[in-house]
This record gives sequence, C-alpha cells and structure tokens, in this order.
Amino acid sequence: MPIARQREDRAEHAEGLKCWACKAPASGSHFCGVCGKIQPLPPGMDYFEFFGLPQKLSMDAGSFEGQFHKLSWKLHPDNFVRATEFERNLSLERSSELNDAYRTLKDPIARVEYLLLKLGLRKEGTSKQQAPPELLEEVFELNESLDELRDARSAGGDVAGLRGRLEAAAANFQQKLGDVDAELAAVGKEWDAALDARADDAKKQALLARMNEVLNRRSYIRNLVAGVQKELAEA
Amino acid sequence: MGRVVGIDLGTTFSLIAYMDAQTGAPKCIEGPHGSALCPSIVSVDADGKILVGEPARLRLLTQPDRTIYSVKRLMGRGVADIQSELAIFPFRVDDASGDTIRVRLGDKLFTPPEVSAHILRELKTWAENYFKEPVERAVITVPAYFNDAQRQATKDAGRLAGLEVLRLVNEPTAAALAYGLHKQKRGRVAVYDFGGGTFDISILKLISTDEGEIYQVLATNGDTHLGGDDIDNAMMGIARAGIQKALGVELDSRGEAIQGLRKDLIRAKHDLSTAEKAEVKFAAAGKTAALEFTRADFEDLIRPIVARTMQPVKLALADAKLTPAEIDEVVLVGGSTRIPLVRKTVGDYFGRAPHCELDPDQVVALGAAVQADILETGVKTMLLLDVTPLSLGIETMGGVVAKIIPRNSTIPASAQELFTTGVENQTGIDVHVLQGERELAKDCRSLARFQLKVPPGPAGLARIEVKFLIDANGILQVAARDMRAGTEQTIEVQPSYGLSDTEIERILEESIDHAEEDLAERQLIEARTEADTILLATGKTSGDPRAQELSGEERASIRESAAQLRAAMAGTDYKLIRKRIDELNEVTMHLAEILMNSTLAAAVQGKRLEDV
Repeated sequence: MPIARQREDRAEHAEGLKCWACKAPASGSHFCGVCGKIQPLPPGMDYFEFFGLPQKLSMDAGSFEGQFHKLSWKLHPDNFVRATEFERNLSLERSSELNDAYRTLKDPIARVEYLLLKLGLRKEGTSKQQAPPELLEEVFELNESLDELRDARSAGGDVAGLRGRLEAAAANFQQKLGDVDAELAAVGKEWDAALDARADDAKKQALLARMNEVLNRRSYIRNLVAGVQKELAEA
Repeated sequence: MGRVVGIDLGTTFSLIAYMDAQTGAPKCIEGPHGSALCPSIVSVDADGKILVGEPARLRLLTQPDRTIYSVKRLMGRGVADIQSELAIFPFRVDDASGDTIRVRLGDKLFTPPEVSAHILRELKTWAENYFKEPVERAVITVPAYFNDAQRQATKDAGRLAGLEVLRLVNEPTAAALAYGLHKQKRGRVAVYDFGGGTFDISILKLISTDEGEIYQVLATNGDTHLGGDDIDNAMMGIARAGIQKALGVELDSRGEAIQGLRKDLIRAKHDLSTAEKAEVKFAAAGKTAALEFTRADFEDLIRPIVARTMQPVKLALADAKLTPAEIDEVVLVGGSTRIPLVRKTVGDYFGRAPHCELDPDQVVALGAAVQADILETGVKTMLLLDVTPLSLGIETMGGVVAKIIPRNSTIPASAQELFTTGVENQTGIDVHVLQGERELAKDCRSLARFQLKVPPGPAGLARIEVKFLIDANGILQVAARDMRAGTEQTIEVQPSYGLSDTEIERILEESIDHAEEDLAERQLIEARTEADTILLATGKTSGDPRAQELSGEERASIRESAAQLRAAMAGTDYKLIRKRIDELNEVTMHLAEILMNSTLAAAVQGKRLEDV
C-alpha cells in the first residue's frame, strides 16, 4: 500500500557536491560551471529551487513559462541522443523533474499544496472530509435535495423542479469556491510578504496552518459541486 | 554511419522520408512502383517468401488467407480486446494464441509487431536502394492517443526490422512540425489527424524563443480505433445488403469476392470526394448488381463516424483550457480529411478554413524526417514538447485507481510512490500499473504488474520507493529503491500485453536465419553503388581527348564491358555485378594509364616550369 512521504527539510543540498566528470565543485545547478556536463539532481532539491525561485506563492506566469522553455531547450533528452547512457539518464531525470515541477507550480492550487507538502503540513493525497462548520446548514439542505432527487427519479416525482433547486445550490457553492480561491490568494500574498520581511517561524507556521485550512475547505466544496453535477448529469 | 530516416507506419499506407541536405527540406522516398505510399499489407507466399506493399495488395484479392492489412489495429492489444473487430476485419487470429495475438498467414503465425516489422523492413530497403547505403536508425511515428503497450509494440517492430528507433513521435506533432517548417506558423494550432484506422486531435502552441522554435503540445485526445476503415466497413454493410437484395447472395466475410468488393468501394469513396455520385458493380451467379452511392447518401452514412471525431476535439480543447475561437490555425492530416464533409465539419467547428496545403498522406513522414535529422545531427533548430495522452495510475485498495501522472503532462514525466507492508512478515508488495481516465482498475488499461521484494519484518516498517517515469517516447519505465537498505531493486515488469524481452530475443535469433538474405541485399546495394561510380568515371574519361590514343578495338571492348555491367546491375546477382566491375576495370586499365601518365607529366612539367 502506498504511504505518505516523510517531511524533507529544505537544506543546502549542494554543499560538498562535485561534478561527476571534472570533479570541480558543483553548485547544484543543471550543468557544471567548468566542463558544462549535465549534473545529477541533488537529493531533496524542491521544485522552487529547481526553477531558481524562492518559496513564494505569487509568480509571474509569463516569466515562469519563459524559464520553462529555456530549461526545456537545454535539458530535453533530444540533446543527449548521442551522449553516454549515464548522461542520457541524467537528462531523463532532470527533464522529467522539470516537467513535474512545471505541472505543479503553474497551477496556483497545486503550488500551495506542494509548498505545504514540502514544509510538512500536508500529506500527499489527503484532505479532511468534514464539512466546514459555517457550511453545515447549506450542506444539510443540499443533501436533502439530492435524496429527494434520487427518490423522484425512482418513484417518479417532480424531477424538473428538484433539478432547478439543485442547479441553484450548485451555482451557490460554485460561487463559494471562487470566494475560497480569493481567500487562498490573499493568504498567499501574506505568506510572500512574511518571507520578504523575514518573519519569525511562529508567524510563518500560523500562515501555513491557515492555508491548510482554506485548502481543506476548498477541496470539500469542490467535491460537493462535482457530486451534484454528477447527480444532475445522471438525472 | 549510414542514413537516418523518418517513418510513418500507417494503418493503410506507410511512408519513409529523409532530410535533403541540399534543399534543407524533408522528402519522401518512392518505392519500386513509383509511389511514396507503401500499402501496409503483408502477404506470405507458399514458399514462405514475404511480400510487402503493392505486390501484397494484389494478393489480397487472390490469396486473402495469406495476406493481412490494417495490422496497426492489432498492435499492443490482447485477444480479448479485438473480438468486436474480428467481426469486421478478416484477421485470422490463431485460437491457441492465449492472450497474445498471433495471426495466421498461410501456415505461419505472426505477432502484430512481426508483421509491422516486415513493412518497416520493406521501407528500409526502399531507402537503402535510394541512398545506396545502409539505413540503421529511424524516427517512427505513432498515433498520439496510442497507449504504452501500443507504443512498445511499435518500438519492438522497429527493433525486429533491424532499426534503432531514435524516438517515437506522435503523428499530429510530426505533422505540425512539417507545417511549421513550411509556413513558419505561430500561435495556437489544432491538428486534426483522421487516418485509415486512427483519429487524433492535438492542440499545440508554437513559440519562438531566443534559441529556436518550440512546439509545445497543450493537450491531445483521440480514438485509436476510428478511421477510414470504419467508413469502408459502413459502405460494406450497405453494399452487402444491396447485393443480398439484388442477387440473393450472402457474401463470405473472409472470402476473395469481398476483398474485390472492398477495393471497389474504397475507389468509390475516393471518387465521392470530388464526384457527386459513384457506382460499384458486383457480379455473382451470372448476374450483376449495380450499387449507386450519391454524395448525399454517403454523407448520411458517415455522419455518425465524423461526429465521433468531434468528442475528442472538445475534450482536448477543454484540457487545453481554450475555446474553438482561440485557435489560430487548423491543420488537416490523414487521408480521410480529403472527404468534403470532414473538412466542412472541422471548418464549421473552429470557424476558420483548415489548412491542407501539404499532402495529408505525406506530412507525417516529412515531420518525422525533420525530427530524425535533429536527433542525428545534434543541430537543434526546434524542440518538440509532447504530452502523455492518458493518465498513469496504480491500483489501490478496492480496485480504485490512484492517478499519479495526469494526462496531458509534458513528457518525460515522473512520479514517486512510497510503498510499505500491511501485515507482519509480508515478503512482497504487488503493484499494478494502469493507464486511463476511469476510476476503477477494471475499466483502465492494464500496463504491467510487478512485485516489490521486502525483507520480513513488522508491518509498515518497509520503505520501498518506486519511481514511475514516462520517457520521451511515451513509454513507461519503473525503478524501485529500498529506502531503509539504500539499495536499488531490479523489477521484473511483466507487460500485460505484447512481447517480453525474451520473446523479442527469440524472434531476433530466428531472423538470423534470414540474415544471409539480408547480407546478400546489402552486398547488392554496395555492388550497385560501386558499379555506378565506375560507370560514371568511364563515361567521363572516354570523352577525354587523350582517350584517342586508344585503339578502336580497345574502345569497343570498353563499350561492351560497360554495357554488360549495366545489364548485370538490372539483376539482383551481386556476384555477377562484381565480376563485371572487375572486367570493366581490366579493359579500362590502358586508358587509366594514359590518363595517369599525362596527368603526371603535366604535374611534373608544371613543377619544372615553376622551378625555372
């Protein structure tokens, strides 16, 4: 059975590393500064570091894409077709890491999830499935409507009327999803500011905990909307 | 070093192309029948000799039980997968195959990669005859929506044909590459590729960077069993009903008559792209039935098939987060896009006239040649960033699939998973890898199963990290590492479909029986090349004024020997060609001496003059 990964501390991974080819001291970058050979990934290097970015949550999409294309051009296996097997494998390792990092960081939600995962606040593939207290009443109503819809479908009732009610509820939750995204973006900005201000650990931990809470709420609402849409599609 | 080529291994036709160094443009190579299209048909004659392409197509009518077409439909599939196709296609799948498909051609059995290898080998020969040197490396194209097993089967076919497969490239991406080169296009491009047996849609972004052009695939979708074949089969249904009604004859679906009818229907289909109606005549039991198809009938018949292509188009756009209006260019690829209804449907959906300037049959092979050239020369002017068409997942408790690499991820892509034991002293952890979008393992495509070995111990103590990596060919690689012991673990991955490495080795060993034949072929190519060189030199020197020193007798015997060499070159006996080359060398000896001496004399004289 798969289990969650352990927390890995972001550290100075490059310390003591040497280029495999020319033995010059390596800085952890993609290529050796002296002989230009592609280098293995330092253990524990995270996606932000791979792109040479700070662990911030707001990023400029255009320059991120540009950096992705630049790195793709250099690291892609196309460049290593005639290289040794060792270098071909390094290219495969680096370019797959590049694409994994690109896929994760370009999506604002996946970016937050990844940060929390790396900082040990979240486990892979887990999210609390408890209804957030402030939504309890609405969720209760929604579930009742869903039950009625199922009954109406099997026993023959006012499917059309229920459908209208459910569609309205789904739209309402969709709206809430937008609110949650805005909230997440706002906490993200606070996090970036805290990094800039070299805030203390307590403050940073508090922000991370808030982000985690917002993410859980988000995932709950998103599942709810998806569930309703599925029922509506079947009705 | 030999040459490198791009190959489009198609359902109906296959093509081979290369990058012409002189023009800087890719070019298709024609076969002995004067066409660049090699019918993807293989036939085995009574002596066990293999015929490919045009000769095999002729035998489709006379020897249908020894001939196979559309084998691409069987690549990377299991016997259970193809039951519905067996009703429509005259594949003779051997019953004793187990789950591995083996088709019977005469008294021999072949796996689909072996049949495809014969097509590749034929194309390789075309290219070797053209270049007069060996061809050993190739880029081969596959439908973008091919899964891991189908890709692996294609790669195996290349290996069996004696080709090092530098890369598998997705067909629509290759087409985009050829078009980009042709038109210097920018922006967002939709490639609609409707071929003989497969349908693909790819949405790409063409980006100019300081280093060069990047072709980034944003999303891809498709159906690996939807193509012109389906249109033929729909026409066949109507025709058989018509024949039954007119002549009272029920056609045997595997007989010879039906292959003749099929050929005529395909011609009618082609005609209907330009004509308003087409007629097919069918004779049986002394009577003839005339079946007429009008353009309107035909369009009504194929409308549901064309409609089936639009669902993947919508899904690909949704994944790329784009609307039809946001697409800057639409490119049509594949023979089925010659059908006016297809062009109209695609044009209407995107609200713009699609591009079809390049030959839709050739464009994929041309793009493959461009990519082959980049990989071979290392001179990179452009970069393809492709995606994996299907999500990769592993089976978890309750048969549910946990997705670990989502579809449309740029490749190479990877995912790490940490596994542990659930019970005490468990010695192995079973891992089941799947591909597909459905939630349950039973609804996804099984790719491989393997077992991770763990030392006995308390439950949950083991830490085995498995790295799943999809390489630039879209093929899965798996590596495992015991995190506690710090050791790499080799995994015996049992592919769910297709050939194991051992089987490939066995087939390759068996093919050493044919190596003698191949060697003869290579020697023939080399002998012809040498003959060309010597004939060219003889022709040049015979016209030299100094050749007048030869006697009339000598000149006649040179002419005679040259003619005999030309005659030998037309044949396939390389030993005879060598013999004639030696003879020509002998009779031109005196001529060579004369030329050599006078050149030498001139050179020496030149020196003296300088000295003076």
